[in-house]
Amino acid sequence: MDKKEVQKRVKNVVAKVLKINEAEISDDANFIFDLGAGSLQSVQLIAAFEEEFDIEMDEDKALEVQTISDSVDFIASYFE
Amino acid sequence: MTTRFKIHKKNLKKFIYPESVAIIGANNVKGTVPHDILLNILNTGFNGKIFPVSPGEKFIAEVKAYKYVVDIADPIDLAIIVFPSSVCHLALEQCGQKGIKAVIIISAGFKEVGEAGLEREKKLKEIAEKYDMSVIGPNCLGIINTDPGLNLNASFARKMPEEGNIGFLSQSGALCTAVLDYARAKHIGFSKFISFGNKVDINEIDLLCYLGDDEKTKIILIYLEEIRDGRALMKTASDIISKRGKPILILKAGRTKAGASAAASHTGSLAGSDEICDAAFEQAGIIRCDNIEEMFNNAIAFAYQPLPENNRIAIITNAGGPGVLTTDAAIDEGLELAGFSEETIKILKKNLPTTANIRNPIDVVGDARDDRYNIAMSNAFKDDNVDGVFVILTPQSMTDIDLIAHEVVKVSGQYNNKPVYTSFMGEADVSVGIDILQRNKIPHYSLPENMCKSFACVYNFKKRSNHKAVEPKVFAEIDKIMAHTVLDEAIKTGRSYLPEEESVRIIESYGLPVLENGVANSKEQAVHIADKIGYPVVMKVISDDIVHKFDVKGVVLNIKSAKEVQEAYTSIRENVEHLRHDARIKGIFITKMIPAGEEVILGIKRDPSFGPVIMFGLGGIFVEIFKDVCFRVAPVSKQVASSMIQQLKTYQILSGKRGNPPRDIEAILDCIMRLSQMAVECPQIQELDINPLIVLDENKGCFVADAKIML
Repeated sequence: MDKKEVQKRVKNVVAKVLKINEAEISDDANFIFDLGAGSLQSVQLIAAFEEEFDIEMDEDKALEVQTISDSVDFIASYFE
Repeated sequence: MTTRFKIHKKNLKKFIYPESVAIIGANNVKGTVPHDILLNILNTGFNGKIFPVSPGEKFIAEVKAYKYVVDIADPIDLAIIVFPSSVCHLALEQCGQKGIKAVIIISAGFKEVGEAGLEREKKLKEIAEKYDMSVIGPNCLGIINTDPGLNLNASFARKMPEEGNIGFLSQSGALCTAVLDYARAKHIGFSKFISFGNKVDINEIDLLCYLGDDEKTKIILIYLEEIRDGRALMKTASDIISKRGKPILILKAGRTKAGASAAASHTGSLAGSDEICDAAFEQAGIIRCDNIEEMFNNAIAFAYQPLPENNRIAIITNAGGPGVLTTDAAIDEGLELAGFSEETIKILKKNLPTTANIRNPIDVVGDARDDRYNIAMSNAFKDDNVDGVFVILTPQSMTDIDLIAHEVVKVSGQYNNKPVYTSFMGEADVSVGIDILQRNKIPHYSLPENMCKSFACVYNFKKRSNHKAVEPKVFAEIDKIMAHTVLDEAIKTGRSYLPEEESVRIIESYGLPVLENGVANSKEQAVHIADKIGYPVVMKVISDDIVHKFDVKGVVLNIKSAKEVQEAYTSIRENVEHLRHDARIKGIFITKMIPAGEEVILGIKRDPSFGPVIMFGLGGIFVEIFKDVCFRVAPVSKQVASSMIQQLKTYQILSGKRGNPPRDIEAILDCIMRLSQMAVECPQIQELDINPLIVLDENKGCFVADAKIML
């Protein structure tokens, strides 16, 4: 899966979980600082990414990911 | 004065008296820190503008919210960041871009959680410096300013405290909430209440300076866990106390002795960081308290009542036992029972029942009502021999507790140039009276012993403020270059310890009295030196590998002839070779045997917070058993050196008590002052012991009998 596809689906998931407009999500938006994700929502995002991409993420490492672009790289690494 | 200090000084007004506040990371979730801080600001009637900043909310608590702080058009004086620690730097960067100069970071998850948190703190510091911002926190409770013109509760404390004249600073956020709760129950008010957390930028010294100048603050309380710059703290505190007359009370946590046991010298092992902290506070005039209760016991005495002119107290009680207990406690604390004037005695005799005791303590008897307390108090206040009045009450069936409490308030208000302290003893029944006293700012203590302690604390503060501090003397006739040459050379060659012979040379270069001496490397040389010095002599092994020479039988005393010199030379070498075969012997040190005198110890230690420290105490081989020693931060004046000597039990011996001849205290003072100058001017010295310094009779001087220096 190429990164563009991952990015598109990541933004889609984030918009749904955080209940925000997908168009407002910039490529390097920070989940907490720019998108207002709380700690509960961060966990919800990981679960949603796992379901969307059918992968099992290392939760500790996943929680360290802070931005859309970092999460795209992180998820893409599961398909390399 | 550092650049950052100047920046903080300029920015601190925006923290304490902001006209507009942004809460960055605010949310709509009740019971969370960001939400409660916003509500606290809104609910306490803050009269400035409030701007919630939240990436996910349009309105919070019916106030318009902004996505970023840079989106706010109005200028912002104070920003409060309550984001998770991982993004605080992003928020701080935007604060800098917005031109905000005062930022409180409430969030935890920094230095206190380890290396990653420390890195995050460093980032915050860099951003603050880049924009000339000042930062309080992280990991703190926030700020409260009770000034009725502002009413700011920018914290997540449960309630706003009463207005008062006590300024409170705390390194611990959690302790703040306990203190606020404790104080609220006793109607203790605050002027400013500031939690400063990990002090990434602003520290206790910046805040202390602010409160020193703050007109609403009469006394300053600080809870501290770590002192980074002890000397700056001492200087700032000392200035505030002497120039502004504001008492400073510190509750310093961490009375641990860890680390001291590893020290190589006596001074090192005796000078734990807590002992040094005690000494430094004492020197600066800071009042150290052991717990919150003691701190507030003293604080209310300072905050509510005038300082006593002297230590003569009148005790008024309706019970004999508590009167006796109070008398004992007062005497123990160095107070005096006032002797009443004839006039006072006459009036008391006329107006109190015959069963009453009209001498101090005045016992108004168990069935006393408010009228008897009135007579006793009024006349005690009027008496010129009385400097302060203690009112004690125990609750008998006929005791009208509330009326007596009101009487105390009324009468003390009529004589407000003298302090009144109270102890309504008991718990349940007396609570109504205690509440009246506390609401009316009359210091109350559940135990009379604590009342006496607090009076003594205030009295000692007053007494000290009457004395002008003297600057330490700087001795000119010293050979600093020689000392530095020897020390630098030793460090260059990787040595960590200087044996006696070299230590003595350095000590001599600062003008301390040492005995004529020499180093021998053969029996013949030893005899030659001893003959030159004159008998009797002392011989000691010199070795970089041996710190405690007695332990290896490397010392022989009272050698009276050339024959004995030869024998001593042989025995010292044999003993050392036998007991420490690995030690390299550099020679035998020979000095004159000093006539008998008192053995005292002098020392230097370098403390990480307070720098060079001087020790003085009872010397000899039992120094670590009796521990009759004291410390001061160098340099010390003659006044301070004198206080060191007088503080110890050893002073009784030195001053000639119990049949001993008085010793040469002036000579000791000179040595302490010279050593304190050496401590400041020779940073190469980590620890130094002069043990013993032999002190001869008055006007006969003293001599360094043994010394060692650790580098």
